Amino acid sequence: MPDVLPEPPGLDIDTVIYNYTIRKETEDSVDVYVGNENAAGTGYIFREHDQWRPGSLDGTEINKVIGIGGIHRDQWGDGFIDVEGNGSVEDPRVIYTYRVDPCYNPQFDPNCPGYVTPVPDIPEVNLDDLYNALEDENVDLERKTEIAQEQNEENLDENEKKKKEEEEEQKRRYRLEKMMSASDAAALFAESQMIKQMNEIANMQANVNGYYSKSIPGGVYRDSVQLADTQLPDNRRGLRNNLAQQKLHQQMIDEQYK
Amino acid sequence: MVAVAVASTTAISFANAEQVPITGTVQSRCIIQTDTAGTYGNPNAYTLTTAAQDGGDAAVVRYDVSLADAYYAEITPPTAFSSAPNLPDQVTWAGSVSVKTVSDATGMGTYEADKLEVGDTDRYDLTATGSTWFAIESTATMGGNKAFAGGTYTAVAEAVCIAK
Repeated sequence: MPDVLPEPPGLDIDTVIYNYTIRKETEDSVDVYVGNENAAGTGYIFREHDQWRPGSLDGTEINKVIGIGGIHRDQWGDGFIDVEGNGSVEDPRVIYTYRVDPCYNPQFDPNCPGYVTPVPDIPEVNLDDLYNALEDENVDLERKTEIAQEQNEENLDENEKKKKEEEEEQKRRYRLEKMMSASDAAALFAESQMIKQMNEIANMQANVNGYYSKSIPGGVYRDSVQLADTQLPDNRRGLRNNLAQQKLHQQMIDEQYK
Repeated sequence: MVAVAVASTTAISFANAEQVPITGTVQSRCIIQTDTAGTYGNPNAYTLTTAAQDGGDAAVVRYDVSLADAYYAEITPPTAFSSAPNLPDQVTWAGSVSVKTVSDATGMGTYEADKLEVGDTDRYDLTATGSTWFAIESTATMGGNKAFAGGTYTAVAEAVCIAK
């Protein structure tokens, strides 16, 4: 039966329906037993006796429904159809109808009442049985320690080196940033200068354009200079200055002969 | 001395009649239901039959009896079409009823052997409680070897439960 029924543990069988066709001579008497053994003890869960008496015809089918009333799957042993007498059964079929209590075992579903969160089974270990390196004669602990120290020192050096490299990298980035910012400032200044020059050129063009638009009428331009005075006196202030320059010049020349 | 005052009243009564109904419902302990509707096969032009080898299916009727030895099952195969195209000639009817399935071999196994045939009707003595399935076979043959006209033919078998 276990291989016939589905998996859930909380399974009760309510009803058994079986049918078959009897093969016999009309005058023969045939007894057919259909049932299931009791797996939890002796006897049967159910055992039906079909008594085909003389007069019952060959080829008659039987279709029987047996109410069981909910017997747990654990109690269902092997099923059987036994025939006694001169006859046989044909096309036998047994149907078990069941109901399932999913919480029969509360651990089957976390939603079942009484469910206990399973705790992993941690095996106990006898510490004496564990491998102890201290007792292993093939292990040279001092050498191991030495190696460990060397490794530790190497690790320290490596860490320091990494730290220095990081600092250098940080400084390099800082310098680059400064340089970039100076470069940006210069570019900004140059740009502002260029804009200023462009504005000046534009303004100059605007000023010059005024002259370009002027036209000079053609013709003869006569000399219009007139000297009202007939005598032009020397500029005395200029003379004094000129003489002073001359004197200074003379002194300088004389200096080289002293 | 005690003074007693007696008051008398005069009642005027009219003739009246009332009918009080008493009703009751009896649930039959014999229930009949169609398990399988039959079909006619048409092996030749002038025959309609439910025989499986001729492409037909026998009708199956189920009797559920919850009171032993209280009923007869009477089943009559069809003797006429309930609906059919025009028939060119007389139709000859043949039919049979047999126990197909029982729910109790011991109590019902001999129903078939013990049945009583009355004319076209088969009578079974339902001596045991449980379910019995009866197969109804029917064959209709057109007279004069004339062909059945094309169309749908329907015939009805009658199954009754008679209290003893």
